[in-house]
Amino acid sequence: MTDLIGSGSQLELDSDRPGRPGSVFKSPMALAGLLGTTVILLAAVLAPALAPHDPTGQNLTDILAPPFWDQAASPEFPLGTDGLGRDVLSRILYGARNSLVISFFAMLLGSSLGLITGLLAGFFGGRIDSIIMRLGDVQLAFPFILLAIAVLGVVPDRRAWHVIVVLGIPGWIIYARVVRSRVLAEKEKNYVAAARAIGASRWRRLFTYVFPSVWQVVPVIALLDFGFLIIMESTLSFLGLGLPPPAATWGGILAEGRRNMVVSPWLPVLPGIAIVLTVLSINLLGDGVAKVIDPSGAKGGFRRFRPRLLQGSEEAAEPAPLLRVRNLSVEFPDQNGTISAVHDVEFDIERGEILGVVGESGSGKSVTASAIIQLIDPPGRVTSGEILLEGEDVVRVSDRRMRQLRGRSVAMIFQNPTASLNPVLTVGYQMREALRAIGIPQEDVDETVVRVLTTVGIPEPTRVVRQYPFELSGGMNQRVMIAMALAAQPQLLIADEPTTALDTTTQEQILTELVDLARSSDISLLLITHDIALVSQYADRILVLYAGEVCEIGPSAQVISQPAHPYTRALLESVPRVEVRIDRLEAIPGELPDPRESRIGCPFAARCPHVMDVCRVTDPFPVEIASGQWAACHLWTENRADVMSS
Amino acid sequence: MPPVDREPGGCDELVTLLEVRDVTKGFEVRTRAFTRSKGTLTAVKSVSLQIEKGETLGLVGESGCGKSTLGRMVVRLLEPSSGEVRLSGVLHGSDDPALRRSVQIIFQDPYTSLPPKMRVRRILAEPLLIHKIVPEDQVESRVRKLLDDVGLKAEHADSFASELSGGQRQRVSIARALAVEPELIVADEAVSALDVSVQAQILNLMRDLQETRGIAYLFISHDLGVVRYMSHRIAVMYLGEIVELGTADDVAERPLHPYTKALLSAVPTIHGNVSAPGARSEPPNPANPPSGCSFHPRCSWAQDVCSLDSPHLIEWKPGHHAACHFALEVFESSENRDVESPLGGRG
Amino acid sequence: MRGRVLLIRVVQMVFVVVAVVTIAFFVLRIATGDPARLVNPPGTPEEIIAETRARIGTDVSIWQQYVNYLSGAVTGDLGTSFRGSQPVAAAVLAALPNTLILAGLTVFISAVLAIGFGALAAWRPEGFVDRLVLGFASVAQATPAFWLAVVLVLVFSVNLRWFPAIDMTTWKSFVLPITTLVVSLSPILVRTARQSFAETLSEDYMKAARARGLPTWRVLGVHGVKSAALPLITLIGLQLGFLLAGAVVVEAIFNWPGIGKLILDSLASRDFPMIQGGILVAAMVFVLLNFIVDMLYAMLDPRVGAAQA
Repeated sequence: MTDLIGSGSQLELDSDRPGRPGSVFKSPMALAGLLGTTVILLAAVLAPALAPHDPTGQNLTDILAPPFWDQAASPEFPLGTDGLGRDVLSRILYGARNSLVISFFAMLLGSSLGLITGLLAGFFGGRIDSIIMRLGDVQLAFPFILLAIAVLGVVPDRRAWHVIVVLGIPGWIIYARVVRSRVLAEKEKNYVAAARAIGASRWRRLFTYVFPSVWQVVPVIALLDFGFLIIMESTLSFLGLGLPPPAATWGGILAEGRRNMVVSPWLPVLPGIAIVLTVLSINLLGDGVAKVIDPSGAKGGFRRFRPRLLQGSEEAAEPAPLLRVRNLSVEFPDQNGTISAVHDVEFDIERGEILGVVGESGSGKSVTASAIIQLIDPPGRVTSGEILLEGEDVVRVSDRRMRQLRGRSVAMIFQNPTASLNPVLTVGYQMREALRAIGIPQEDVDETVVRVLTTVGIPEPTRVVRQYPFELSGGMNQRVMIAMALAAQPQLLIADEPTTALDTTTQEQILTELVDLARSSDISLLLITHDIALVSQYADRILVLYAGEVCEIGPSAQVISQPAHPYTRALLESVPRVEVRIDRLEAIPGELPDPRESRIGCPFAARCPHVMDVCRVTDPFPVEIASGQWAACHLWTENRADVMSS
Repeated sequence: MPPVDREPGGCDELVTLLEVRDVTKGFEVRTRAFTRSKGTLTAVKSVSLQIEKGETLGLVGESGCGKSTLGRMVVRLLEPSSGEVRLSGVLHGSDDPALRRSVQIIFQDPYTSLPPKMRVRRILAEPLLIHKIVPEDQVESRVRKLLDDVGLKAEHADSFASELSGGQRQRVSIARALAVEPELIVADEAVSALDVSVQAQILNLMRDLQETRGIAYLFISHDLGVVRYMSHRIAVMYLGEIVELGTADDVAERPLHPYTKALLSAVPTIHGNVSAPGARSEPPNPANPPSGCSFHPRCSWAQDVCSLDSPHLIEWKPGHHAACHFALEVFESSENRDVESPLGGRG
Repeated sequence: MRGRVLLIRVVQMVFVVVAVVTIAFFVLRIATGDPARLVNPPGTPEEIIAETRARIGTDVSIWQQYVNYLSGAVTGDLGTSFRGSQPVAAAVLAALPNTLILAGLTVFISAVLAIGFGALAAWRPEGFVDRLVLGFASVAQATPAFWLAVVLVLVFSVNLRWFPAIDMTTWKSFVLPITTLVVSLSPILVRTARQSFAETLSEDYMKAARARGLPTWRVLGVHGVKSAALPLITLIGLQLGFLLAGAVVVEAIFNWPGIGKLILDSLASRDFPMIQGGILVAAMVFVLLNFIVDMLYAMLDPRVGAAQA
């Protein structure tokens, strides 16, 4: 399950998987970058063929000719001439050649050194790692630009390779660090340990297993490094420390042009434009490649999407329940289509009751919970339905109103308690902040903090408030979360797998306390879990979800002892129990359905032992089986045969 | 000896397949920031156990009890600080190929257990190639057979791990382990990360493989229900020590150790009746264990002697061991279910 | 216990500075050959060269020269300039503050811009503001500092006459150099800040914070900024070298009396003591700044200072 693995996200979208190389063409920016880079590379390679004149050919009769847009321009020199009458266009083309060649080899030098040292440092660790990292520290403290300047400035016969070495060598550390941290991360993964277990030698593990997952970071860095080096090379040339004259370099052209810049301002400006365009193209290409390798972009954002209400709300005949969910559907659009996470879900929660929601991954239980408090992870959104909390439809209220409701009317606690608290702020700070947000006056805050912490069973509250979340255990942090959630006495508390990440013994303590607290304050509890035994023990009613749809809902005892839906039943029969001896578990065959595929018929049809033809075609509506127990299954709508006897 | 009503698969020779003798593992940790002072965290303390051919020993405990560390030492991915791990009586060197062909391991997380850039075919071919188990021209057919043995279709050989579901990935991990034809497989929380409806499939697959190939398992899990289903015998670990050892039925129904009892009552049950109260307070910091019996601060039966004298693993009933001074009292309390334990309360 | 850690760190810092100076010393000598020859014009008679050698102290073995240099440096004597005879230490220390002012102001302004624009951009990823900010950052990142400086001078000094083009005089003379440097440094800070904000926004604890009813400005402004600022601090530490490169260029163009200009001017005359002196002092400053960055990070992130067990 994605939650157990700790990704925390509600849905594993396709964007979390590496893309295919062809997809670099999808982004217009990356495409522009690719085009620009190609054009410039071609121009540099073909400079001898493209340049109209010899770049070093002086022409003292026609110096400082203006470029083509000026009236006094001569057609021979499209971009004008410099102070010695040399053709600017040709010099820029040859300049491209020189600058790109030098930068390219410098980049190769740095990247090779960096890749090797990073691999060695990361994989072998120990002394090798220490030495390499120590070298890196020295490098960081190095004003290498000064050394570069010094070396190039004093060396008697400056050549291209001097510049390449001086520019390239310091770059190793950038690659090494990134490669090293990738290697460290991959090395810890179980597949490397498994490789060792099957007998792979160290070198085999490094090259066959670790390297293929690591090398991809290098091209991205290399491209951006290439652009950076072009700028550095031009800077050095500008300072007179690059290739000596009469070689054409962009920086050199600019420096020479500067002498005449008042009269001929285009002379220093044009080469700079060439540099900007080149580096910009390379950077855009680099960004495009980075996206291909790691497409998961930031999915942040706070926008809520409010669908149109299709039908009016039903009139409540009896006193309205605390929470009423009707026709709820939630979708997650991504680049490959839409994932339907929740489909036409309906249920109520009464005041003071505990409703347990059971489902596996893809059941939509977490998404439903997030919908109630209007914190669905983007890009998910509610596409239909209503959620009435004490008569107010939270799907459609204003952002401001929703913020008021959160914490005061509805609160939520999450699966991983330590990850739910800001790691760089103390527990006390976050508690005080939470209490202020729900309107507790400043002067009462401190004692309220101590009071609620004591209520949830935290020993020494005054010491705990000064600590950071990572210093406390998972159980303690969850108690802190519960304390914050209950501080305002909300009508509804949503608990999304609150104890899954905790030890068995702690689990029981926390759940019992949570349930006791909820009952004593008449707070309704929506308890979400994958563990059907848990809901049977703690919940008043159970809601069973499968693939985003409701299977069954009813009082716990009834649902457990006489499950009406084949999925509920299969679930009960396939879960190992410690309290009874089981000779053979009845495993449910098949896999969970793909949330991307369109829904036709009952979602459980492919795996159901009682499947009928109608099941594959029509999705059953929930039907009342017994008092308070509903099931969405054709066995109950078609022939009211008693499933439980079969 | 395994109980008669659950016959382990495979041959009847009583050669102890795995013998763990007095194994201890300590880790050096920094006790304070920015200093050189190091403390030792003893993850596994002087543990001994045996596994026979074709049997499953369940190893159960909560996080920090050292079960994973012990599992890794059995596969020799970690070396014990002291003590020995012997396979069929032989003490192998840590990267001895013969060792690698006898013991294999399956990990918890299906998502990081398989190399992301390799196709399944290659993943399964690797052990075959490293140990030259079959000649190169037979690798393909052997890979197909392995896939079939674990219930996967032949076309899955072309897939990458990222294209498979969690259950399918675990099957590939099992196939990889089977490739070397091992005698013992360590399953470290092998089904804990799987969806419930898929767990049972994998558990049944593992049992079937035991029937047909006579493989023994060291089945590590925090989930008592799963451990009971899979195991002939169960060992319970707490803070690096084995506190109880016996047949699955004995341990699950008539435990001798208070911790086992606490675990059992903490597990939510479908048939609703919660019996004795669970353990009090929080699990202790493994770097700073309590004196005497490591469970005594949380124990409802604890008396003065418990904080002074560390109990040893003693066979209180035939085939049923526990490390507790009051094992018999604990045993009695299960016999009379309506008697609530007088001591202790909820944390 | 903190004292012991501090001591270790200081020793490391000293080690690093010594390493830097050593490398600089030997690389310079190896790259260039006999300084006595280089200081004099070609064709100078041998006696004059020998005389020069004695004067500048290169008549002993290179190891001895190295030792002499180091022992001098420890006492604050960085030798005498080959041109004229002013003490290197004084010249370098006079130039240092001018570079520091430039760098300091640049970092401050860039950091503020980065946090501001980074937060704005991350608010709605792929939104209009985000694209605009990233677009500007991309173009700025592709713009060489020396070219921008020249263009700014052309526009604002030559044509509009708003700001002076050279020297360090009134506050006005700060505008163009600092603008150049800020445009040069900000893009990478802005990108990192934006990335950091965006990642922070999707962290579990942000969602939990919103679930408690905290207003959005607080979620972003307090929780978000603190977590997002951390990578920024590290990054600034890593960009010191790049910043110095920009400062050197800017000092050259604007005739700013800082360390960069000092070293550049010393190149033509092969004034080794001055060059080495500049490098040594720059290395010390780098090391100190890195130390400050680490301390700052540890202050802000409690996890760094804590026990591992």
